[in-house]
Amino acid sequence: MDSAVIADRIQFAFTVMFHYLFPIGTMGLAPFIAWYTVKGTRQNDEAAIRTARFWAKIFTINFAVGVVTGIPMEFQFGTNWANFSSVAGSAVGQPLALEGVYAFFLESIFLGIFIYGRSHVSKGFYAFSAVAVWAGAWISGFFIVATDAWMQHPVGYAMLANGKIALTSLPALLLSPFAWWQFAHVMTGALLTGAFIVAGLGAYYLLGNRQTAFGVPFVRAGVIVGAIASLIAIFPTGDRNSVNVTRYQPAKLAGMEGLFHSKRGAPIAIFGMPDVKHQKLIDPVYVPDALSFLAYGNFRANVKGLAEYPADERPPVDLTYYAYHVMVGLGTIFVAIMLTAALLLSLGRLPRARWMLWILMLAMPFPYIANEAGWMVTEVGRQPWIVYGLIRTADAASPNVAAGETVFTTIGFAGMYFIIGLLFMILILRQIALGPEAPERAE
Amino acid sequence: MNTAAFVLLAGMLCAYVILDGYDLGVGTLHLFIARTDQERAASFATIGPFWSGNEVVLIAAAGTLFAFFPQAYAASFSGFYLPFMVALWLLMVRGLSIELRGHFRDALWRGFWDAGFGISSFLLTLLMGVTIGNLLRGLPMGPHGYFSGTFTFLLNPYALGVGIFSVIALALHGAAFVRWRVSADSELGARAHNAIVVLWPITLVAYAGITAATMIVHPVHISALWLAPCLGVASLIAARFARSPALCLTATSVFLLALMVSAAGTLYPYLLPSFPIGSGGLDIAAASTPASLPSAFVAIAIGLGAVLLYATLAARRVLSRKV
Repeated sequence: MDSAVIADRIQFAFTVMFHYLFPIGTMGLAPFIAWYTVKGTRQNDEAAIRTARFWAKIFTINFAVGVVTGIPMEFQFGTNWANFSSVAGSAVGQPLALEGVYAFFLESIFLGIFIYGRSHVSKGFYAFSAVAVWAGAWISGFFIVATDAWMQHPVGYAMLANGKIALTSLPALLLSPFAWWQFAHVMTGALLTGAFIVAGLGAYYLLGNRQTAFGVPFVRAGVIVGAIASLIAIFPTGDRNSVNVTRYQPAKLAGMEGLFHSKRGAPIAIFGMPDVKHQKLIDPVYVPDALSFLAYGNFRANVKGLAEYPADERPPVDLTYYAYHVMVGLGTIFVAIMLTAALLLSLGRLPRARWMLWILMLAMPFPYIANEAGWMVTEVGRQPWIVYGLIRTADAASPNVAAGETVFTTIGFAGMYFIIGLLFMILILRQIALGPEAPERAE
Repeated sequence: MNTAAFVLLAGMLCAYVILDGYDLGVGTLHLFIARTDQERAASFATIGPFWSGNEVVLIAAAGTLFAFFPQAYAASFSGFYLPFMVALWLLMVRGLSIELRGHFRDALWRGFWDAGFGISSFLLTLLMGVTIGNLLRGLPMGPHGYFSGTFTFLLNPYALGVGIFSVIALALHGAAFVRWRVSADSELGARAHNAIVVLWPITLVAYAGITAATMIVHPVHISALWLAPCLGVASLIAARFARSPALCLTATSVFLLALMVSAAGTLYPYLLPSFPIGSGGLDIAAASTPASLPSAFVAIAIGLGAVLLYATLAARRVLSRKV
């Protein structure tokens, strides 16, 4: 592969993975903020309003960083991937434009009202603005996932004589079942992260004997939502995504599972390291027949191995395999953590079970890792295609941008993002230290 | 259909210039007109609730360009690779400055972000102006149909002139905005008024110069377009002698509208005219995909209509009180 394309891929991977850390926070916390605001408004519950406004501060910091790191994502389609934009722009450009028009305005305008306008608007309108922020965050997520889903499984298009792709049906793109299951899985992942943040912060307050009025409710809310979300992440949403991958991207499935050779009654490897050179897994621990069952609902079904595909149509096995196993492994651990915590909660013993609170607090970073790993499976597993089966990544980059330019700007982004990450941590830690008990400052 | 898409896109960019224009103008000016920490905080507060919504217009416009004219998106964004990356970093610094300034009550912290906000706003405006100038002047096209000039090609006197003019025009607009948003008897309001008085003749002279230079660089072929500079001059005069701050802001907004209409009308039907002017370029027909355009147009137009509705509603509530 051309070195310019490699530089473009590294830049996109780096900037998108950094960017995504922040939308997880906004999409995961928005439902909590909306729920607390509506509850507080309806029951005249000042503690709930205070909770909502506290999480809104965390949300706002996430949102600001999400916006400034998100604009480069949209720009890179044109700057680094001009051939892709030129050939497939009429398809991928539409959901991206709709995201701006249908989601960003909603989110930013109503967030402005929520933060600045409490004294200007009625209580009902205030509660409505919290719900609108949630809607904006999730609709925005939908359009991005719909764009990605089209690149995974293109629908509603026609190839033109001049080699370009025309989107012939926008509804087909927006209503694609592939997109909706992916969206459900991605939102569940974000919600699960939000739940771990809320529960983990509550655990931190309880363990440190701070902000005592808020520790228990935070842990309770986080554990209830987290227990449900961790289950939904596996079934049905995770399961349906696997089935869609099996149907539309079988080479990716083989890469995810490290299945080099076709097998009737294919196993799932729980552990094991792929050895691409010798086309086998090293030290595997197998669950026999499980992959055939999960993919086809039949223990004896034949699953195609990587060897069945031409060498230039196979995804990079190592990264796809490891990312998938990290995601699934963490997802399983999340279920164990959240169900145990939920059991303790229902017995009324969670606030005193310090060992469980420690686990909840220390688990906070791991949903982020699981979300990022999931996206790595999706995007790395799609290779060597940028639009599955239609356009190769190698043909998609800008012919007029040299590798050196991209390396230069990637270093620029790295420096910029290091500072942004540092500032983000300072601000978040400060909000956590102030906590929901702190009086609001007039700005 | 192509023309309708061009008009909608131009309208979005126009809205962007008018809306984010005052943010940028406030940014460029606030180091000069706001002296105390309180005044600085007040100038941030004038744009606080609006700036992110205004910047969304830019994101939405870029997305719309992508959806309507993918070929132009590909050709211009890759051609302007380094300038656009620099613009991205400036947008980041600017966004962070506005959001982070208020988090600590510390003179060094605030001073740093004040300067960050001022410098990034100034450079962004300059960069956007230089970009518009280069679009009007035409761009050399490579064999793949993408812009293929050098950095030094972009830094020509005409484009730099448009860049500096943009800084002046938006500073005027920003001053009008500050004066409208703060109470009339405040010192900040008085200094904003002084800024208008000082900037006004400079804007007028620069406007005449840039208009003349543009007619040389890019001869106009739509005869009705002479109306736009007339509107521009009229609104500029109205801005100086307007009785109320609201009327003055309206006038500077109309002035920016006239500028954008001139620019868009001069370019039409090209999105990226090739250099020198008259040698063709990428026009709206070549840049779009006819089969996909209608659905994109309808979906985006409906969405924008809804945004217009609730944005007006929301802005009226927040604007009901002065800073």
